[in-house]
Amino acid sequence: MPALCRFAVACFGAALFALHATAAVPAPPSPVGPAGETTLRTFFSTYCRECHGPDQQKGDRRFDELALTVTQPDHLLDLQDIIDQLNLGEMPPAKAKQHPDTPEVRAAIDLLTQLVADGQSRFASTGAQTVLRRLNRQEYINTVGDLFGLNMTMFDPTTRFPRDEMVMHMDKIGDVLKTSGFLLAQYLDAADQVVEKAFATTARPAEQTWRFTGNFSQQPELRYSHGKVFQYRYLCLYETTTSDKHEGAYGPLLQFAEGVPADGLYEIRVKAEAKFRKNPYDPNFFGTDPAMPFRLGVVPGNAKVGALHLPQPIEPLLGEVVVKDDAPEWYTFRVWLDAGFTPRFTFPNGMLSVRNAYARILRQYNQLFPEEVRRTTGIVESRVVVMRYGQLPHIRIHEVEIRGPLAAPWPPASQQAVLGHQPFAPERTRDLVHAFASRAYRRPAHADEIDRLMTVVASRRQQGRTPFEAMKDGIKAILCSPAFLYLAEPATEPAVERTLPAYALAARLSYFLWSTMPDAELNRLAASGELLHADVLVAQARRLIASPRSSAFVNGFLDSWLNLRSLGDMAPDRGTFVRYYAQNLESAMKQETRLFTRDLIDRNDSIVRFLDSDYTFANRPLARLYGLEDAVDPATGHEFHRLALKTPQRGGLLGQASILTVSANGIETSPVIRGVWLLENILGTPPAPPPDNVPPIDPDIRGAKSMREILTKHRDNPSCFECHRKIDPLGFALENFDPIGAWRTRYGQGIAIDASGELPGGQTFQDVAGLKRVLVTRQAQFARMLTERLLTYACGRRLEALDRPAVDKILEATGPDQYRFRDLLEQVVLSRTFRSK
Amino acid sequence: MSAPAPVVNRRFFLRAAGVTLALPLFESLTGRVLGASRALGSQPGAAIGATRPQRMVCVGNMLGFYQPEFFPTQTGRNYDLPSLLQPLAPHQSDFSLFSGLDHGVKGGHFAIHSYLSGVRSVDAKAMPEGNISVDQRAAESVGGATRFPSLTIGSEDGLHGGCMMCWTRSGTRVPPIPGPRELFRRLFITDNENDRRRSDDRFALQGSILDAVNGDAQSLGRQLGRRDQDKLDEYLTSVRDVERQMELGRRWAGVPKPKPGMPEPANTGFVSDLPVLYDLIALALQTDSTRIATLEIAGGFEASAFGLRKDYHALSHHGQVRENIEGLLKLEKYQMEQFARFLAKLKSLEDGAGTLLDHTMVLFGSGMGNANAHTNNNLPLVFAGGGFKHGEHRVYPAQGLGRVPLCNLYVSMLQRFGVEVNRFGLGTATMRGLDLA
Repeated sequence: MPALCRFAVACFGAALFALHATAAVPAPPSPVGPAGETTLRTFFSTYCRECHGPDQQKGDRRFDELALTVTQPDHLLDLQDIIDQLNLGEMPPAKAKQHPDTPEVRAAIDLLTQLVADGQSRFASTGAQTVLRRLNRQEYINTVGDLFGLNMTMFDPTTRFPRDEMVMHMDKIGDVLKTSGFLLAQYLDAADQVVEKAFATTARPAEQTWRFTGNFSQQPELRYSHGKVFQYRYLCLYETTTSDKHEGAYGPLLQFAEGVPADGLYEIRVKAEAKFRKNPYDPNFFGTDPAMPFRLGVVPGNAKVGALHLPQPIEPLLGEVVVKDDAPEWYTFRVWLDAGFTPRFTFPNGMLSVRNAYARILRQYNQLFPEEVRRTTGIVESRVVVMRYGQLPHIRIHEVEIRGPLAAPWPPASQQAVLGHQPFAPERTRDLVHAFASRAYRRPAHADEIDRLMTVVASRRQQGRTPFEAMKDGIKAILCSPAFLYLAEPATEPAVERTLPAYALAARLSYFLWSTMPDAELNRLAASGELLHADVLVAQARRLIASPRSSAFVNGFLDSWLNLRSLGDMAPDRGTFVRYYAQNLESAMKQETRLFTRDLIDRNDSIVRFLDSDYTFANRPLARLYGLEDAVDPATGHEFHRLALKTPQRGGLLGQASILTVSANGIETSPVIRGVWLLENILGTPPAPPPDNVPPIDPDIRGAKSMREILTKHRDNPSCFECHRKIDPLGFALENFDPIGAWRTRYGQGIAIDASGELPGGQTFQDVAGLKRVLVTRQAQFARMLTERLLTYACGRRLEALDRPAVDKILEATGPDQYRFRDLLEQVVLSRTFRSK
Repeated sequence: MSAPAPVVNRRFFLRAAGVTLALPLFESLTGRVLGASRALGSQPGAAIGATRPQRMVCVGNMLGFYQPEFFPTQTGRNYDLPSLLQPLAPHQSDFSLFSGLDHGVKGGHFAIHSYLSGVRSVDAKAMPEGNISVDQRAAESVGGATRFPSLTIGSEDGLHGGCMMCWTRSGTRVPPIPGPRELFRRLFITDNENDRRRSDDRFALQGSILDAVNGDAQSLGRQLGRRDQDKLDEYLTSVRDVERQMELGRRWAGVPKPKPGMPEPANTGFVSDLPVLYDLIALALQTDSTRIATLEIAGGFEASAFGLRKDYHALSHHGQVRENIEGLLKLEKYQMEQFARFLAKLKSLEDGAGTLLDHTMVLFGSGMGNANAHTNNNLPLVFAGGGFKHGEHRVYPAQGLGRVPLCNLYVSMLQRFGVEVNRFGLGTATMRGLDLA
């Protein structure tokens, strides 16, 4: 078989090496500089030349002519091969006459690694230009919502879209985001869904009222006991929605499973009371904070998606109220509901598992129960007994009334978005399509584009659709056009003058700060060209930042910069970190970092606060994680408060639980992973990936060996040392924080934690507080990293060497004021890089 | 500035392959011509002839298998089965076991998606066929011969979006069918008259939309620079892909789906669904609804179904603690039992002159080597059926120049499937020592 022969040759031959070594064309200057080149050349000629030089080319490798600048991908392979051999200590071989000492090997490895990194960034280059970028999933949702004036809280036409491709956690990079047949097929389906939804209501819906009293059958698990004890008089909420068995975690109105008849605003009135918040039982049974008043929430549910007493993919918290103890009262919510959705009640600070509580209460507080039931066993009867005789904390709902849709505009906004203020008439089709396409394409639509859309309309007419339906089909085609799906930035040749045209600039600004299409004002300024003036541009940036819609920037940028998007992907172990689930810490953690960032923008404070601060934002559960629960009044404990921090360990991002959780794996912490995370996302100097064939660290948590001892051994290996001396001290400084960010002084096995360290520059610190002091002195480096991330996020491309002057300029403008965050954002928008393709 | 792209860890294999990684690193590669064999094949629904077609099933999990209880200490035939392989005892002569095979990649959870391709998605640009996975490569050759060119089944739950095993030539992940209910409906539920009419109308609408947007792309392309045009090629390729899918859909729309011989299953959680999924895959092969199936056993695999307090991922970080390892082994053994049951099922079904297993290559394994250390080397792999000579534990060098890329196995599988290739991913030859029976 020919394939076999080729394999044999290939495997032992390695025939191609020498070919690439010859530098026929003058190479660009080496990234390691002349000194670095000399070091490498000397190293090769001293230790390698005998076997891999002009006289001999063992393994077909020759190093005296090796190119020290990577211009072809093959060079990467060659250089990496040398690095590997040096790392493994296999070259020079034992029988060689001369051997380099450890510092020499380290220096060579370090230089070669720089060459590889330089080469890689060159191959990833897009010529310092943004490559035609498609909308990512979030942008698609936001844009469709704005185009049609649709409320997207409960409507997600993108659930089957493939995940967006990312680099550096960024889902906005043009050359990386892909379009595939799968995605296009989904675009076609989504367009259909969106347009049909926009036109779903055909007659003005009348306001209706629905009342529900009694006959509350909730879910199979509770049917028997609720019937027996309450005769189905109440909906009872026991558990928080992050529980794992969901017994009384959702209070569905099963009599209203079909949901509301039309999209709109509804008033929901609930007569409810908090029962047994004060009870004789150990609060640890429930994992709740008994000092906090009970809260009642409303989330939407859709019976077509699945059972209403279980979690569903779309269930944002639409509203919540504090419920009074032991006195039924009426509470009112006004919430948006899409047609087919029914409200479900939740208990955000309910217990984690009522199912486990029945037997435990009965066992531990047996004497509190009447004698005849004390010997009850089995879940079914225990449930009945504890509900009847015990004091199980829960929210009890007596009555519900729903009224709506309230004062709905007619025709709905989504139809006005297409039809304007007049009813449809077939002869208006072309105008309607033209107007809508011009909004969707973020610039005036071209005549040939409209012609093609009208061809769709015409062929649909031929296929028997009414003029109105055919017009809708034309609108669907708009949503599938590349002019809508891509942020197109027309070519401007020659490449030196790459200023964005006004419409493209408006789109860039809007997708940067709002993650959606430009609004009417931006469009107007683009049409007149005024947006191209710096003062107009910065005024618009200010307007967008000041709007609450810029929360899209805060959320999107934090997801991209700090990878907050992945918080919870490595779910903390339910056994060890009960409170993460019992108190819904995950969402609180995210909220803290978002509020912290929002506050920096609003106050235009320095980004140095990210490195260290004497305050943070927390609700009571999160404050409790930080050991500060007394600082938050239980009565408003579910709200976030600005908290002064009394100790220096917690301030800044490095003390925020979101960061500490996302940089751990939910089970244990690794100084290496957190160290790398810091280098990448705070210092902006990611380390090279680990060399091949270096044995990985295989955690063994049985014995007395601490991670520090294991890693110290790892660092004895010179090839590991070079990077780990940069990585490990940063990671060790965070070891006082457990995998969900709680402070600890010992590991689980009782070993004391040593968080001290020495950075490669020689600065030493005792713990994270000391490290933060060092980082604050390096704020310029942090500011550069953050500026580069902002530009990457804003422009949808990786930055390259050519962008350096633009970054320098931003830093010069903002440095004297310690890089205030809003100043930084404005300077980013004003920069050459942002305003160029 | 930007983080360096992860090191190309596969230099050895590449050099071995004699692959010149010349450009088009700078270019968008997605505009490349698709495999010519992609054209629509035989008449839909026509009975399979006397020669039985080859099938391919690839199963993967996220977290590998506890290596000390997976790899036997002896080599060759009649080796003693370690505890994790015990469930496979009745089939020992029907499968091969490999030690020392992998793709030379690193990245722990972030590299397991290379299991069936040999190439991480970040490295795909540099490869001639991107990071296409072996199942999708095979599926390109099926054309319209079956209703589904391939079926990708499994969950996206759990860590980092699941196993992510299946990738197309353009570097897109094939989204999996999530549960038995959805799989059953796709395989066996025929549209009623109304649905048929609606889907015909949908084809008509989508056809005219595609014509229009194809024109838009052409005209947009004229205003764009070269890099943008390359990117736009992705869109044009996608248009052609969807047109092809629609053509296939139209052809099969009139052919009734086979009778399942079982009621519609409910989704009850991945652990209890696993045997049902295997049964449905066997049915799909038996009815020639597809010839290629993959199954992703992701992190959503509920440890609580085994009465374990810690979850699957937590147990995989066992830290050498005995209790954790025992819990982990419970989960892994269950997966092995269900796999053994699947092999038994394929063996029990007649297919032409032999059994369905004779005509089905089944690969079972993971892109994760040792989850406790997050390694992606020495992958656990069981390869059964397909008419190969089986029964041995083959050991390949774990390091050094004699290494054999796992992709060589994929070359063998593709050739057996009837795809004329000599290389695939990092593989440059068929698998040494793996012969046809």
